[in-house]
Amino acid sequence: MKSHSAWGTSKSLVKFRIPTSDNLVPIRLDIEIDGQRFRDAFTWNPSDPDSEVVVFAKRTVKDLKLPPAFVTQIAQSIQTQLTEFRSYEGQDMYTGERVVPIKLDLRVNHTLIKDHFLWELNNFESDPEEFARNFCKDMGIEDPEVGPAIAIAIREQLYEIAVQSVTSAKESRISKKGRRAGEFFSASKTGGNAVDLVKLFGNKSSVIRKRKEWDVYEPIVDLLSNEEVDALEAKEERNIR
Amino acid sequence: MEKIFQDLEPYSVPSYSNWFSWSNIHEVERFSLREFFDGSSITRSPRIYKEYRDFIISKYREDPSRKLTFTEVRKSLVGDISILHKVFTFLEKWGLINFDVKSDKEADNCNGNCKPISMGGEEEEEGWKGRVKVEEGAPYGVRVVAAPNSMKPVASLPPPPSVRADGGRGVGEVGENGFKWPPLASYSDVFGYSVQQEKKNVLVCGSCKEKCDSVHYEYTKEGSFILCEKCFKSGNYENKLADDFKLINSGNQSDVWTEAETLLLLESVLKHGDDWDLVAQDVQTKSKLDCISKLMELPFGDLMFGSANRKSKFLDVTGDVSNFKQAQLDFNESQESAKVEDPSHGLKDEGQQNGYADSQGQPLKRVRTEPTSNTSSSLMNQVARISTAVGPHVTASAAEAAVTALCYENQCSREIFDDDDNFIDLKASAENIEQKRAAQGNLLDGDEGPKQSETQGPSFHKDTIQINLRMRAATATALGAAAAHAKCLADQEEREMEHLMATMIEAQLKKLKRKMKYFDDLELIMEKENAHIEELEESLVADRLNVLQSIFDAGISRWRDHASVKSQTGPTAQVAPRYFSFKAFLHAAMHSGSVHGLISIPNTHSTFLGVKINSQIIIAITTRNHFFTKMAAIERVFQG
Repeated sequence: MKSHSAWGTSKSLVKFRIPTSDNLVPIRLDIEIDGQRFRDAFTWNPSDPDSEVVVFAKRTVKDLKLPPAFVTQIAQSIQTQLTEFRSYEGQDMYTGERVVPIKLDLRVNHTLIKDHFLWELNNFESDPEEFARNFCKDMGIEDPEVGPAIAIAIREQLYEIAVQSVTSAKESRISKKGRRAGEFFSASKTGGNAVDLVKLFGNKSSVIRKRKEWDVYEPIVDLLSNEEVDALEAKEERNIR
Repeated sequence: MEKIFQDLEPYSVPSYSNWFSWSNIHEVERFSLREFFDGSSITRSPRIYKEYRDFIISKYREDPSRKLTFTEVRKSLVGDISILHKVFTFLEKWGLINFDVKSDKEADNCNGNCKPISMGGEEEEEGWKGRVKVEEGAPYGVRVVAAPNSMKPVASLPPPPSVRADGGRGVGEVGENGFKWPPLASYSDVFGYSVQQEKKNVLVCGSCKEKCDSVHYEYTKEGSFILCEKCFKSGNYENKLADDFKLINSGNQSDVWTEAETLLLLESVLKHGDDWDLVAQDVQTKSKLDCISKLMELPFGDLMFGSANRKSKFLDVTGDVSNFKQAQLDFNESQESAKVEDPSHGLKDEGQQNGYADSQGQPLKRVRTEPTSNTSSSLMNQVARISTAVGPHVTASAAEAAVTALCYENQCSREIFDDDDNFIDLKASAENIEQKRAAQGNLLDGDEGPKQSETQGPSFHKDTIQINLRMRAATATALGAAAAHAKCLADQEEREMEHLMATMIEAQLKKLKRKMKYFDDLELIMEKENAHIEELEESLVADRLNVLQSIFDAGISRWRDHASVKSQTGPTAQVAPRYFSFKAFLHAAMHSGSVHGLISIPNTHSTFLGVKINSQIIIAITTRNHFFTKMAAIERVFQG
């Protein structure tokens, strides 16, 4: 049977990429120079020429009026993350049918978001940005920085999982188990991340969740007051140190 | 009880969704959400889809007045969130949920301070009317301009729909919430630059190629060469005398030609012929040069011009005028096939068209351009040059004819061109024509002919721009069609080549097969011969045995002692060695006394057998085969 074009067939090997409709790399920056801290997160298109990195760094520093020492640091950090992404790029990863749970637990300015949902990994037309947009709209979030933060968080998790699948593909090839890759990627092969599809979607069970589980998968959006924000920030800093 | 029933209302579902039923899955669902029905994944199946759908709709119907958000349902459903969203938007689009629900002011899941976002709402009617969405104003991305030339939009632009407040109510944008349509290209965007350029309509100085301000100097003798003030003062005359330049304040006086003026002009030209001073007198408000240029612009105007007069005023014509004229005649032919639209000059007799065609070449000589046979310039350059050289009405009509022809062939080009009709203003404002004429008159320097015709292109009357670009479109279409055709031919050729190759290879293969078959046959024959020979050999051996047998029977006692004979032959020998020596045998035969001489030539099977039989010497040369028959004969002789 022909499968839908967006979904990879089971057992297929594709070149590594972020499994979303646009192959964008999530980049996170966290640079501290002379007591000034710059944190940012965004997506980068890996097919952009590398000269753009420096241009971007310069513009950022200029827009935010940061000391010029930041330019090289920012550029370096971006470049490192890009190189890391590219190092995976030539390799194969499995795209069997996998549904993975994605957890969101982030704080953006005054908004605290906790969420938990399932994401299908071999859906190459998925769009984290669209999800983020819907989320913000449904939840009535006004802060425009929240949407992109959510999208980036999702992308980072997908990136990690994709990297995992690359290593697992390598392992299975080494151990020559590749031929026997099961029709459904069971948890053992994927490092315990994926959801057991047979259990969930098989004929015996309903796809409607039980009520008691609704809270687990319900998104929680909290607006914090200033004091709470400060408290949280202080806690985060302590954790980092 | 009654009250409860009264409170119950049927759920309203739009009429186009009446295919829906709880118990079935309809074709529409199968089509729109085919991921569930193609068996591509265990996570998606019709049963699963039905569960999702039923749950979502039931959830909505728990409280039909509030808008159900995706977030509410997705927490209760197991599955990939993107596919859930797809189902949700599908149901919403078809009005099975959230139908006729106002934008929610109190989102259930929203904590305290959240406020709903409603952007772009002012343009939509409250409540979703399904497919038809009434919007105020032009579609996003299209600017409505007041008049063809102006860039000022008539209606204020509606804000682009960057975020939809209501879950993507617009049918066409389902699943594309927040998607911003790329602005539609409107005429003004594509052609804006040329329109803008044309608006400026500046006069370009003939020497320094800069814009002339209102005060410029016009060369009286030819009337088409302009120097700006600066150049004039600096003495940059381009081989002309300073006296010949007339100061002209290009105010409005020379720009607008009213109908009365035009009528006067024509009458006076008819009356006075080439005497421009008189003509200018008649047409009081216009100068001599204005009259001349205006007359040239008129389609039949140059009929009035005497040829002698023309020659003296013309600049040197370089290049291939005949070619040029030929090209013009082509234009004219096409023009003749179309009627000249000339509403503002209804005075003209169209019968003069033919005559006009011939003299059409003449005013072109005023413009000194590179020869059209210059193949280094692109086709478009040539088209541009040609169209710049012709009067606006000519190109209008020619383009009209070309477009008509095109439209017959191709429907879509009709659509392309239909929109442009608004911008063809054949009632050319005289001002524009006049300025264009003057600008055209600046094209004197041949070296910069092509370049200027390019820069001049934008500064043209919008007619010509319009037509120019349309011609480009038409030519591009033609070229595209030719290219496609050429590709088809090329493909065909390739296929033929492949076919021939295949035939050749086939022929070779056949040849080889035949050869092999031939060799196989040969082999068979050889094998058979081999077998035959072996048989013969065996029979020969058998014969030999028989002969020996008989001989030995005849004189066996004497030979028995002969070692060599014994070793070689013997009546007890069951199996004769295949290649026993004839020599020994014959020796033995000789010893018996009957055979006297034996000469055998080695390596042949021929043996000279000399037999003295009863003093008769028989010399027999035999081959192996014949030897035995001979031996049989000899034996008989012995016996006998």
